[in-house]
Amino acid sequence: MLPNRHLAPFSRSGWRLWPGLAIASALIVLSVAGMGALVWETSLPSVNELWQSRYLRTVITFTVWQAFLSVVLSLLVAIPIARILARQPSFPGRSVLLRLMELSLVLPSIVAVSGLISVYGRQGWFTGLANDWLGASWNVYGINGIVLAHVFFNAPLAARILLQAIESAPASQRRVAAQLGLGRWWYWRAVEWPAVKPVMPGLAALVFTLCFTSFAIVMTLGGGPAATTIEVAIYQSLRFEFDAGRAALLAMVQLAICGSLWWMAARHGLTASLLPDRQVASHRSRAGSSLKARLADSAILGCFVLFLIMPLAAILLRGLPGMGMAFFPEGSFVVNPALLDATLRSLAIALPAGLMSVTAALLMLACGTATSRPAFTRLTDVAAYLPLMVPPLVLGTGLFLLFRPSLGASSQGLVLVTLINAMMALPFVLQMLKGPMGSLDSASRQQADQLGVLGWYRWRWLHWPRLRRPLALAMAYGTGLSLGDFGVIALFGTPGQPTLPVLLYQQLGSYRIDAAAATGLWLVLLLLALFSLFNRLGMPARKPGLAATSPSTASEPEHA
Amino acid sequence: MLEVKNLVFAYPNQNTPWNFQFSVEPGKCIAIHGASGSGKSTLMNLLAGFLQPQSGDILWQGKSIRNHAPWHRPMTSVFQEHNLFEHLSVEANIGLGIHPGLKLTEENRQAIERGLEKVGLGGFGKRLPGDLSGGQRQRVALLRAILRQQPLLLLDEPLTGLDSDARDLLRQWLLEQKAHGTLIVLASHDEEDRQILADSVCSL
Repeated sequence: MLPNRHLAPFSRSGWRLWPGLAIASALIVLSVAGMGALVWETSLPSVNELWQSRYLRTVITFTVWQAFLSVVLSLLVAIPIARILARQPSFPGRSVLLRLMELSLVLPSIVAVSGLISVYGRQGWFTGLANDWLGASWNVYGINGIVLAHVFFNAPLAARILLQAIESAPASQRRVAAQLGLGRWWYWRAVEWPAVKPVMPGLAALVFTLCFTSFAIVMTLGGGPAATTIEVAIYQSLRFEFDAGRAALLAMVQLAICGSLWWMAARHGLTASLLPDRQVASHRSRAGSSLKARLADSAILGCFVLFLIMPLAAILLRGLPGMGMAFFPEGSFVVNPALLDATLRSLAIALPAGLMSVTAALLMLACGTATSRPAFTRLTDVAAYLPLMVPPLVLGTGLFLLFRPSLGASSQGLVLVTLINAMMALPFVLQMLKGPMGSLDSASRQQADQLGVLGWYRWRWLHWPRLRRPLALAMAYGTGLSLGDFGVIALFGTPGQPTLPVLLYQQLGSYRIDAAAATGLWLVLLLLALFSLFNRLGMPARKPGLAATSPSTASEPEHA
Repeated sequence: MLEVKNLVFAYPNQNTPWNFQFSVEPGKCIAIHGASGSGKSTLMNLLAGFLQPQSGDILWQGKSIRNHAPWHRPMTSVFQEHNLFEHLSVEANIGLGIHPGLKLTEENRQAIERGLEKVGLGGFGKRLPGDLSGGQRQRVALLRAILRQQPLLLLDEPLTGLDSDARDLLRQWLLEQKAHGTLIVLASHDEEDRQILADSVCSL
């Protein structure tokens, strides 16, 4: 007799295994085919050119140097901030600050750069103060601005991840440390460092890769061979010099450097999550911090908040007056068709890209739960991190060359942009869903196995309540990353059909600063609206039913 | 009849493997007795299909079920704890035992409500397991096992830590199941449980 007369749909393990494996394989094949097509269709310059060409040498050295500086400075900012946030678990606005720190990942870099220029540019607030009070001269263009922007983007993300690691330190250790009255240095050595150490290799590799492959920031704040990264050099080779061979060679250099870095990080263990959980810890660390210590913490945190808030405030203040004009130019009662078209085009790319990245991530994670074969696990791991290393421009160009005979209309180019944006968002989306997907403990899995809660039924009743909110958030991040993309679209978009970031870049290029500020603000508002929408969609329906709560996120606060 | 024949299992770092052998008739209860670490829970996991033995066989009604997946074995397990899905209501937890996709008929729902009333939990259907005491949770777990109507019940310390009223109620209930022909394999440290419920004892 078969005890379970009701066999669940999709209950065979093949349903979990093969779609994810197919997607992982497709990702690897697409990446290899994209780069291969570029090499195949063009004459690859000799590797010796890397040493002989002064330009290439400078570009590679600068890329590594700015990424290294950005990692060091980001971590130097992030570590004290994470420690202070762990020490001070209850001050007004803490949760809003945490949300703000998470948002830095999706804030469109081209918009943020315009905010940073308002603060640190020639006419910026900070520059004025620095010149008046310190007599120092400061130039935001070049390595200063690039590293500053990278710290602006990565320090909050790193601090948020480190905070999560510190908060995961065992409560028993924290209690013992409090009883012994350990000072800050010894508390760091005994409690915080052991918790932070496992996260460090992966975190450093992540920040390094993000800075190494940075495009929009370097495009806007860099300039000249002395401040050009590999990614920008690839863009210039493809767009202006039509030298696809050089682009392919540079792409290989990028892949080799980032690949080696991730390989080294993986050897030190990449088990820790590289994206912050949505849960805000409620534990209280050492009691009895002195007033002096609290004041010092507040001062440092205040500076950090100012560092984060000032560019955002600049975006708001500069964009707000031009909003009316941007939407209704010259007193017209019809919405500005250029802005409307750009908005719709951006959404038409970003929403499917978000959906594709979330679907691919889910299937790849499901594949991980269906098999313990090392070859399959390695395949999905490689596919998960590959998009971080392969330059999207190179991938796009390679795929364009590959599909060229059948690619004609600009809408097909946009499909390619959507596909590549989805791939680029995949590593982040995967990190977001990895924890909730694996949160079903072994006792629950055994029970579910015995009761025959398999396949679709397991997804519906056991995974979905856990994944509903993280899925919505991952969708928001996937969509947001694509919405702010100013990489692939810069190459494949047509000037007459811009997305919002391209429109913003065009407005900046034609010195329509007010219009650019308004477009930037509109892009940020759109992003916030999307996050609110997905946050709402992720909330469990409040109707009396069989499933009652979302297990891992029941006490979660709403998104900022 | 359940027959466990030379069932051999060892964890990776274990020097001497366990070897289990016994048989039980339907409507009887066998108590598995032994010190902590003697292999009681391992045996339960082997029977349920959560672990795979290195050799030997498990026969049910003369047919081998050794290679059957857990959901194809004619048994339901109740452990000392972690028997319920914490995010699902009591009604849903029980309902999953009746239909793994929770497609319940009105008759099913009434059976659940009647069962809950019988174990003193009438009106608790919409509550979450976190709102129940340890004894109440075990009653829910046992009710699910019983409504699932499998001929074999695997009980791993199911009454440990419960107050005397809850223990008496659950013992009474298990005796009723035995009388209806259910075969029970009971792993328990408790002498009283063995005396009241077991027809035979297998010492490990």
